[in-house]
Amino acid sequence: MTSLIEPAPTDGAAPLAEALDEVRRSAQSLLADLGHRPRALRIRAGDVVVEMEWTEQQQAPAATPPAAVAAPPARPEAEPQAPPPPPGIGISSPIVGTFYRAPEPGATPFVSEGDHVRRGQQVGIVEAMKLMIPVEADADGRIVAVHATDGAPVEFGERLMTIDPQAG
Amino acid sequence: MFETVLIANRGEIALRVARTCRELGLRVAAVYSTEDRDSSVVRFADQAVCIGPGPARHSYLYLPAIMEAARQTGADAIHPGYGFLSEQADFAEACEAEGLTFVGPPPSVIDRLGDKSTARAAMADAGLPLLPGTIEPVSDAEAVAKVAADIGYPVIVKAVAGGGGRGMQVVHEPDNLARQYREIRSTAQSLFGDDRVYVERYLPSARHVEVQVLCDSHGNGVHLGQRDCSVQRRRQKIIEESPAPGLPRGLVEQMGHAAVRGLLAAGYVGAGTVEFLVDEQHRFYFMEVNCRIQVEHPVTELTHGVDLVREQLRIAAGERLDMSQAELTARGWAIECRINAEDPARGFMPTPGRLTALELPAGPFVRVDTAAVAGGRISAAYDPLLAKVCVWAPDRPQALARMRRALAELTVEGPGVSTNRDFLLTALDHPLFVAGTHDTSLVDRLTDPHTREES
Repeated sequence: MTSLIEPAPTDGAAPLAEALDEVRRSAQSLLADLGHRPRALRIRAGDVVVEMEWTEQQQAPAATPPAAVAAPPARPEAEPQAPPPPPGIGISSPIVGTFYRAPEPGATPFVSEGDHVRRGQQVGIVEAMKLMIPVEADADGRIVAVHATDGAPVEFGERLMTIDPQAG
Repeated sequence: MFETVLIANRGEIALRVARTCRELGLRVAAVYSTEDRDSSVVRFADQAVCIGPGPARHSYLYLPAIMEAARQTGADAIHPGYGFLSEQADFAEACEAEGLTFVGPPPSVIDRLGDKSTARAAMADAGLPLLPGTIEPVSDAEAVAKVAADIGYPVIVKAVAGGGGRGMQVVHEPDNLARQYREIRSTAQSLFGDDRVYVERYLPSARHVEVQVLCDSHGNGVHLGQRDCSVQRRRQKIIEESPAPGLPRGLVEQMGHAAVRGLLAAGYVGAGTVEFLVDEQHRFYFMEVNCRIQVEHPVTELTHGVDLVREQLRIAAGERLDMSQAELTARGWAIECRINAEDPARGFMPTPGRLTALELPAGPFVRVDTAAVAGGRISAAYDPLLAKVCVWAPDRPQALARMRRALAELTVEGPGVSTNRDFLLTALDHPLFVAGTHDTSLVDRLTDPHTREES
């Protein structure tokens, strides 16, 4: 009964749209992890290849301010942006929920800053509706920062830790 | 009343619900996928929580993420909008279990009315007329053939769990029945995880007329007139109007009362819609119940001066209906056109992309419900609805003229983005539509070259 939202794909359109989507998502996460912008980027998913190059001046065109919505009220989240995350590979929350650094209250945390981790090693837990979802390291390396505190509410995709892969 | 309402949806309906919440002084909590990070409702809301990646099954359809967002934002009610989880009894149940109010009917009612087989049985019990066909699902090809022979061709085979225009096939010839029966069962299994189907007579030239109903939790119910949604492409509505043109006044009241009677008998609470087919002899047949706010609800709001989302929230908070049937009369005429980001020249293929320019219709008696903004993006991950353009006028001819004027004001530009605006204008100018005598075959007449000449 979700048909209003996901109409039957028109013939031929869906695979292309999905592939494009896949490319865009891959590019976004790759760029997010890099921390700086490369001069060129080439991504392939299925039959779709996207190539981009950045000019030295990296100003994105200013988005036209939204016309349909009145000025938003002050929001707690609208505070000044946090400083950019340290360079390295981010470990993101796999789900919206509560972040735990240790397997149970009072236990030793899975990892601490300075620890070496292997790709796939569990570094935390996010609890969502009593589901315990493991958080795993995305790469071999050293934990250089833990951004979320134990018991904190986290959103999907929020950076929980940063790994320095060079230090692996 | 509630303090914080979490809106478990996206796009124009999330923003529309948020606006009424703000008017009622309720705190607005929005959820969004990574695709919708920059969306209008995220900016509008008092708080917004990222619940997952673009694909809906990992975000807007992912129950644990929605429930977590409700917990984090301290919401005491969840408005599901339309689509996504809005008609999932599991979702309503999960809300109850967490002590949250689900803005919609009770889970048991969603269950019963969402299953077309039990819904038909319930409405038949309440005395609503049904098309000839089966109430119980038909479980083998032989039984289907027998039923079809009894009621006469063409017949329509529908998935019990279907809805929103998906999971059904028209069978014109007995020779095709066995094959189509197998096809629809396998489609139903993959779409809805339920391969039960039933059979009813198919009306090739019927009108799709639905009745908006409000029921409170104290056993009171009223209807807010009709919407004609006969302009459909592949069973997706594109133009809706209120009232339904050309129906005798007696029929309007008869259908309204039948709809209220049916929903009250089913224990319905909230805003709901009863869909009917009306044939050339002005006989009406129950089709299905939609247990949610509908995309086309604005036309009813315009003709009745009632904010349906406000009523949903009041009813969910346990308040009584503060209007009587006698007070509810339709005033004038309202039409809605759904502007989709799609290309009619390429088989209505969706055309997602960034909007470099967007100018929306405005002016007297024009309402545009949209979440699109210039500089924003139409995502390929969701449906291509870009805006709902609605107009009101004292009568239908003026409403048609106003809609033509409004659609002409619309500008949508972006690389690869096109809309169905011109197609809508063509439909609005079709002699059958102008006369108000069109039925659900209108769009086929416009798109199928074979039938184009005769129109």
